Amino acid sequence: MSEQMNQQEDIQEVLEKEELSTVERCLTFESGNLILYISTKHVIEILHNVSSSITTLPLVPSYIKGIINLRGQILPVVDIQMRMGKCETEYTSETCVIVLDIDSVSIGIIVDSVRQVIDIDLKDVQPIPLKRQQKLLDGMVTMADGSVFMSVDCQALAQNQLQNDMGVI
Amino acid sequence: MDNGMEGMLDTYLFETNSLLDQLDEMLVKDEKIGEFSSDDVNEIFRIMHTIKGSSAMMEFGSLASIAHHIEDLFFYIRDKGIDSLDPAHKKELFNLMFRSEDCLRGQVEKVENGVPLDTDMDDFATEINNFLKKISGAATEEPEPERTESPAAAGGMSADHLPEDKDAVCFLHVFLDEGIGMENLRAFMIVNALKECEVEFRHYPADMDSNSETTAIIVEDGFYLAFTDGDMATKAEDILKSQGHIRSYELVMAPQPEPEPQKDTTQGPAAPASQPAAPTPKDNPQKAPVNAPVKQNLISVNLVKLNDLLDIVGEIVITESMVTSSPELGQLSRDSYDNFMKSARQLRKLTDDLQDLAMSLRMVPISGVFQKMNRIVRDMKQKLGKDVRLTLVGEDTEVDKTIVDSIQDPIMHMVRNSMDHGIEDTSEERVTAGKNPQGEIILSASHTSNEVIISIADDGKGMNPDTILAKAREKGILVKPESEYTKKEALGLIMLPGFSTNQTVTEFSGRGVGMDVVKKNVESVGGVVSLNSEEGKGTTFSIKIPLTLSIMDGMKVTVGRSIFTIPIANIRQSFKISEEEVIYDENGNEMVERIGGFYPIVRLHQFYGISTEITNLAEGILIWVETSDHSFCLFVDDLIGEQQVVVKPFPAFLNCYELKNYGIGGCTILGDGNISIILDIMSLHVAALENV
Repeated sequence: MSEQMNQQEDIQEVLEKEELSTVERCLTFESGNLILYISTKHVIEILHNVSSSITTLPLVPSYIKGIINLRGQILPVVDIQMRMGKCETEYTSETCVIVLDIDSVSIGIIVDSVRQVIDIDLKDVQPIPLKRQQKLLDGMVTMADGSVFMSVDCQALAQNQLQNDMGVI
Repeated sequence: MDNGMEGMLDTYLFETNSLLDQLDEMLVKDEKIGEFSSDDVNEIFRIMHTIKGSSAMMEFGSLASIAHHIEDLFFYIRDKGIDSLDPAHKKELFNLMFRSEDCLRGQVEKVENGVPLDTDMDDFATEINNFLKKISGAATEEPEPERTESPAAAGGMSADHLPEDKDAVCFLHVFLDEGIGMENLRAFMIVNALKECEVEFRHYPADMDSNSETTAIIVEDGFYLAFTDGDMATKAEDILKSQGHIRSYELVMAPQPEPEPQKDTTQGPAAPASQPAAPTPKDNPQKAPVNAPVKQNLISVNLVKLNDLLDIVGEIVITESMVTSSPELGQLSRDSYDNFMKSARQLRKLTDDLQDLAMSLRMVPISGVFQKMNRIVRDMKQKLGKDVRLTLVGEDTEVDKTIVDSIQDPIMHMVRNSMDHGIEDTSEERVTAGKNPQGEIILSASHTSNEVIISIADDGKGMNPDTILAKAREKGILVKPESEYTKKEALGLIMLPGFSTNQTVTEFSGRGVGMDVVKKNVESVGGVVSLNSEEGKGTTFSIKIPLTLSIMDGMKVTVGRSIFTIPIANIRQSFKISEEEVIYDENGNEMVERIGGFYPIVRLHQFYGISTEITNLAEGILIWVETSDHSFCLFVDDLIGEQQVVVKPFPAFLNCYELKNYGIGGCTILGDGNISIILDIMSLHVAALENV
């Protein structure tokens, strides 16, 4: 009961804050046991079953899986899990590519599965209190049910610096 | 600036530049025969009038001012006939026109670059006026400062129906403000005001005070004031300035101008809203049809749209082959399959036509670039005092627009080189060598199936390999003993950075940038420069460039699971070898002998780190490739076949890996929707064999 009450309160809170427009609509997805989210304003579309048609590129870090043909447009595809320095995992039928447009740089990210679109109040987002090398996530937020969602730093993703080039063949 | 204005500016720049090109072509042609034809005089007049009008509309005062003065000049010349000028004057006129053209171009360039225009054009304007005075012998006049015309006044003026008035020398054509009402009476009030100031004139329509029907005429065409004396007209103008409700006015010469019409065309500074008292071309009604611009069946299209169109056409072609080769078709019954294939063939034919057409849209004749060389040769001829004739061959050869833009500078540089260094300094030298005293530079363009060949040949003194070698030694750019250089290699030295054979730096060439820049520019569009020189007979530079950059014939090869496309133009041969044929150097690098030469082998799978089962040289296939001066063999798994491919650049996201420097030129979408990587043989050679 109390949980329900809490949720209702939360919803009310969310509604109130929407008026102050610090609430952002975000797409949540899973990658390597993490739940991540990204603002929907960057999301163009979600592609399924593309992992087989990725053309691999030589001479690029291993997290860049290659390029795909998206209706005539050449789209680079990044495995976000490998980008975060983790090992490659098998792609399943759930695996999909989220096509993003970040400041007119088009890029696709491979994620384990896509969850849903939720509203996240930016005021609730806290910085990650750890010093890390792979700075791909730039915030975390605790949801009502206690789960923690992490925010993907779009700029870091798009500005593909050569910093972590240890992945080069 | 809003979009509409941007569009107008684009149109203005396009129009003005093409008019200036036209002018340039005409001037160079006419100067050769030393004579302006009367058609050309009319044409120049028309060009200047258009530039004046459109510049004034865009409020580019300096452009309008120069154009206006040249228009005045040509008004006089047209009026008197070109034959009234003596040869010395004509020569001066040509020089003046070339300088005016440069001046206009300079201003247009400023507009293009968004730099503020020069506001003070008086010096040049005075010069034009002085020349006009010289040829007309007219009395001293004030150089007139230019004002901007109001947009409405720039084009729509019609003086076709000047009132009948035999005595009038000139007319003032007055327009009233729009929508003020009772135009006839207001006009009459102005007329009365003038009369009060003791100005002698007649006005048309004559019955404007009594006949209210004249209102419509005045609204449409304004009204005319006819003067028998130019001074009176000037006086009247001053008074008009003080009158209200006048939108603009214009001084128009009577159809048969008196001997001193030029004098009357000048006026003192007038109110900003007024029109410059320029004689318009329309004051000569019988000539108007000749001057009317020929309606062209051409439209100008934004290049971006064209590129988008090409992309879409490329997609259609690919999608079409995806559809027609789809495996699901196998489930159709035989009859429906046949029907389907019939329609598919029809579709293929149409898409092929569409593709050809879309490709041809980007093709432009090379003549634009060639014509500019005329001007360069002309200028240098005067400065260097050399007598040289430029012959153009194959001007109508069509080349992709991007290529035309990028080869202009290299060609210009080479023509300058030929003028400066190629042709002998004096005609005596040429006569002693048994040649025509007039030097010749032949600029030619021709097509092969997928290349354009442009050559610049001069019949000058040619190059001496020994001199070049000596110079190269001096510069310290030799890489092997002098005696080992073949003639071809020695000549090739001039294309190295830091080489310039002339001892002295001249205005035109030898500014530190030399043939190496030319070579680089040409290579950037996938072309090759070669040169051949016979001492005492002349030098020929040849540039070979692919017809278009966006589509090419490629050979698909596999390496592991990847498909690469190698440009057919780079492939000499493909062959299989046995283990015994492989030759190793001391480091174990592999080479192979082919037709008397030894060529290194680059294993693509090794170079790109691709896992494949075929690592034994005997199992795979060798492809012998070459670029301008490098030749080597690529080891790949297998050949798939030949295909025309549309070259697509890599996404910007991948730019930081500089794939272009590692032999990867771009990618293309294959018929089945997969992506193939296009190899750039030149950079592959650099990456794989030079930087080891």
